[in-house]
Amino acid sequence: MSYVDAGYAIALGSLLVYAVSLVLRRRRWERALRMSEPAVEADAAPAGSEPS
Amino acid sequence: MWHDAVLVAGKDLRIEARARVALWQVVPFAVLVLVLLAFAIGPNQSSLRHAAPGIFWVALLFSTVLAIQRSVAVESGEGTRDGLRLSGIDPAGIFLGKAAAVGLQLLLLQVVLWAGITFLFDVRVHVVWLALAASLLATVGLACAGVLYGALSAGLRVRDTLLPLLVLPVLAPVLLAGSKAWQAALDGNAASGTQWLKILVPFAVIYLVVGVVLYGPLQEAA
Amino acid sequence: MSAQTMIRRPSWFTVVGVLGVVAMAFTVWLGLWITPPDQFQGNLARLLYIHPAIATVALYWVGLVAAGGSLLYLWPRTRSLFWDRLAAASVEVGAVFAALTLVTGSLWGRPVWGVWWTWDARLTSTALLLLLEIGYLALRRVPADPAIRARRCAVAALLIAIDIPIVHFSVDWWNTLHQGGTFIDPGFQIHASPSMSWTFLLGFVAFSLLFVWFLGVRYQVEVLQDAIGDQELEVSLSERWSEDTDLVGAAASAPTPGPGTGAP
Repeated sequence: MSYVDAGYAIALGSLLVYAVSLVLRRRRWERALRMSEPAVEADAAPAGSEPS
Repeated sequence: MWHDAVLVAGKDLRIEARARVALWQVVPFAVLVLVLLAFAIGPNQSSLRHAAPGIFWVALLFSTVLAIQRSVAVESGEGTRDGLRLSGIDPAGIFLGKAAAVGLQLLLLQVVLWAGITFLFDVRVHVVWLALAASLLATVGLACAGVLYGALSAGLRVRDTLLPLLVLPVLAPVLLAGSKAWQAALDGNAASGTQWLKILVPFAVIYLVVGVVLYGPLQEAA
Repeated sequence: MSAQTMIRRPSWFTVVGVLGVVAMAFTVWLGLWITPPDQFQGNLARLLYIHPAIATVALYWVGLVAAGGSLLYLWPRTRSLFWDRLAAASVEVGAVFAALTLVTGSLWGRPVWGVWWTWDARLTSTALLLLLEIGYLALRRVPADPAIRARRCAVAALLIAIDIPIVHFSVDWWNTLHQGGTFIDPGFQIHASPSMSWTFLLGFVAFSLLFVWFLGVRYQVEVLQDAIGDQELEVSLSERWSEDTDLVGAAASAPTPGPGTGAP
């Protein structure tokens, strides 16, 4: 493998790995946020449905 | 004692795996020392190549001080050390466990430093067994002496400035013998390097034994 | 801010990502196959379609966002955690690009100079930048109230931005005094044909677009992490973080409180 091929492979490969890791991290935190949300929404719903 | 050692080593390593202080702070620090020493020596490629083994060991020694401070800091919370003492765990086991954990971190650090000098200073290890032997023996000595002195300075408020002052002169023989051994390994001259192992072996054995014996009394006195 | 608003992604953002990938694909295709080899450097010149572009992202775009964001955070009129989080995101992305700059630079340098590393000003300052960025990221991981952390990191980022030009200048001087001449910029040794120039430009566009995308995703992660930190999970996380004593040690200072103790 030439230096050029190695360079392209490492650069693009690393960026791909980083991109995937970022997306997975985002997904994990989104899931965590969504799981902790229902408690807040359940409290908010009855308050919002009360007639003025 | 051995069972306790494994327990304590596992605890220290697990804390490190979670907090990743060694990874994010000690390793970059070691690389930084490599770079700074290169600045000090100048851009002449042959000077750098000649100085590479010394640079490796100086960087390792400074990083060992950090690793020891971290090892001590892990138990610096309120009452943690007392808790450890009262738990009935054999103090010799605590010593061996902590030394093992630090030793493992130092070994991994040496892999990084080896890659660093190979990459930055354009050197190559020609006598691999010599370099490995020197590193392993030195690591035992560094870890044992380090944990012992860490315990010595543990409770003190001036711990962070005192520890380097206490422990670095003690570790000087390791620096000396290690650089010489690695220089021989890099030059490909095994014969001249082997004699330096004769310093590293007793150093490791002495501090291992002294640590096992004195760690308990040291904890009681703190 | 509800979960819904945080998870929603603007459409232009996805477009940027897709454009970046497309531009990258074309750069690779042109760079590796369509363009001719350079008359001086041969096929090695193909690395110059990606290396300077990556370096520009790592040094200039990242510097702009990190320093700019930090300034905007510290300036009372524009103070907003948005700038702090953006700066922090750019430092992490910047560290990745800085590391890639060094790797692609060495791969280019090895066949040309015969060594993997040379202590010239550009490579050395990039290496130091990487170390400084790692320091920033380590600093960021220390648990603290978001506003305190933001201020601390903003100052750290500005110091880094000030430091790098100083380092570059000193190393350059250190080198030229030793070599007795200027270091020849390898980029200028290319006789560029039109296809090469266009590919070069395309590479810049591709990596810049990708940088924006990376920045955006990393920023979103930062926002989500802070949001979670404010909620019930904070309790169990602070138990974990209490083991994360920094090197100065808890003995020398009072233990820091867990995250989320400040007003959201």
